[in-house]
Amino acid sequence: MVSPRTVRNLKRELGRSALAKVGIALVVAVLLVAVLAPVLAPHHPLKQNLGESQLPPLGFSAVTNETTSEMVNGSIEVVQRERQVDASLSHPLGTDSLGRDMLSRIIYGARTSLLVGLLGTTLAVLIGVTVGLTAGYYGGKVDDGLMRVSDVMLAFPSLVLAIALIGLLGGASLRIPDPIVAAGVEPGMPPNIVLPGTVIVVVALVNWVWFARVARGEALSVRSEEYVKAARALGASDASIILRHVLPNSLTPILVLATIQIAAIILLESSLAYLGFSGANLSWGFDIAQGRQYLSTSWWIASLPGLAIVLAVVGINLVGDWLRDALDPGIEGEGGV
Amino acid sequence: MSLGRFILKRALQGVFVIWGVVTVVFLLRFVTPGDPITFIAPLDASPALRQRIAAELGLNKPLYVQYFDYLAELVRGDMGYSYISGTEASARIFARLPATVELAVVATLVAVALSIPLGVVSATRRHEPADYAATTFSLAGISTPNFWLGIMLVLVLSVQFDLFPTSRRALGFVDALGYLAQGNPNGLIVWAKYITLPAITLGTYFTALITRLTRSGMLDELGKSYVRATRAKGLPESLVRYKHALRNTLIPVITVLGLQLGSLIGGAVITEAVFAWPGLGTLVINSINARDWPLIQGCLIVIGTSFVVVNIAVDALYAYVNPRVVYD
Repeated sequence: MVSPRTVRNLKRELGRSALAKVGIALVVAVLLVAVLAPVLAPHHPLKQNLGESQLPPLGFSAVTNETTSEMVNGSIEVVQRERQVDASLSHPLGTDSLGRDMLSRIIYGARTSLLVGLLGTTLAVLIGVTVGLTAGYYGGKVDDGLMRVSDVMLAFPSLVLAIALIGLLGGASLRIPDPIVAAGVEPGMPPNIVLPGTVIVVVALVNWVWFARVARGEALSVRSEEYVKAARALGASDASIILRHVLPNSLTPILVLATIQIAAIILLESSLAYLGFSGANLSWGFDIAQGRQYLSTSWWIASLPGLAIVLAVVGINLVGDWLRDALDPGIEGEGGV
Repeated sequence: MSLGRFILKRALQGVFVIWGVVTVVFLLRFVTPGDPITFIAPLDASPALRQRIAAELGLNKPLYVQYFDYLAELVRGDMGYSYISGTEASARIFARLPATVELAVVATLVAVALSIPLGVVSATRRHEPADYAATTFSLAGISTPNFWLGIMLVLVLSVQFDLFPTSRRALGFVDALGYLAQGNPNGLIVWAKYITLPAITLGTYFTALITRLTRSGMLDELGKSYVRATRAKGLPESLVRYKHALRNTLIPVITVLGLQLGSLIGGAVITEAVFAWPGLGTLVINSINARDWPLIQGCLIVIGTSFVVVNIAVDALYAYVNPRVVYD
């Protein structure tokens, strides 16, 4: 389905644009980190070690207030002391308030973000493209009805709707065995990959409208083409016309929109996790929320996971720009956050 | 069709969308698990007491009766009473609205004021340092989660340099104006200090987005033949850029802005959470956590309705800026 011309355009644009190369490098890096998390993470991401809490990243030192109770002149007194904390080689990015290794948590956080981004977008594409192609191909009342539904959906900001749905439905997650740990390579790492099911369904439910609108537009423009009329005259069924003629013609704009939506959904997931609605305890947004409380003493807890989000999303947006410039689908593909 | 009739038609369509919003919000309560009475009644409530509470709130009536009751009350401006505090939901919601509107308006104004010049400079000085700076900023801006940006601003500007308060809102804009009328400008200064970081947090994404759109739109327009014609005619470059190219660039920018309004409201919700800003966003999160249905429904309806209303205004603006628009 990918024509030689498309491949040529992609290559030419890639050669011209240094930013596209940066984008691909970032995306590949984040993908590798997510897949190889058990191998790359130096520690178990959930293992607490209160003796090593709030260690700063390498190259920094921090002063923390320590509250201890001590025997002073025969009575127990609460003593506040300032303690100088130095970085530790075994925790290059420091530790959080419970002594969990930041680097390991950031590496595992990539999994949550990418799983939600990719699976949520896939589900949104399936719903949106089905609705959009049906509406655009049949037109008339079906189209009116489906488009009014999409108008109502658009009136709710995705974040607000997502909070409402998750808050009210409750968060459920699936656990699937991590193949790398199951193969016995890193037996000390978490045995399961946690798939935040509700979050994936909800981000798809609040974002499918964008795909429906693009797919509908494409279907509208294709359905009066000669080859569609010819296929109909030859007795092809509606379903086969949609699948074999209308769908392939709308793939380019959908692909470009999907790339941008992965970025938008990763941002949405991090927002949900920050607000405590995702139920995930290994997510960049969750760590930022934890770090918010320790901002004045341990700046790295909130800062570093945010940098990870920015790098991942910049990479995906750059790849999206590359695809858009190379394929020129003629959409302003800016999905909502 | 005249502009007036066009707006009227869009307003009528808007009424239908709002009706859809109300219906969805109403049905939300019936598709979510958990009986609202469980959250209202005391833990040891007897079945008789639970029934009495249900009867008082009208929760024992058939669905369609509850639906029409709800619509009838809503038309009169009655959104019911909060399950938790017993106060009028509409009063609670409209008390919170000014804080959110202030935040959204300041963020939008700053975003528009910064981004359009930035986009124009970027397009007219392509491949110069100013362009690289603007494109880098806009890429970073659309890729940064706004809540994290807010926390980083607090970390640097409040915790380290103590320039701005870390959270909350001291007073409203109207109160600040009141003090100013009495000859006291301090109210306005305090107001500005409190709103600065939340407004930057909320506005950065939009500044970045509009900068990108303005830049690419200007580049498109400046390459078109009518621009060559106006230049050939001897018009000064500033007139070519701002009267002709920019005006045409703004048309798609306005469309996208209207569509992005939802993300502005969504962004306001999380910005409010970061800064403990007493607006609609913090109210909606609290009421969802407490299953306070009258408040949840009221907030969602107000949010959905404002989206529809502002979009109609955006359409009208669009028709005004673009005389080619066909009112269909």
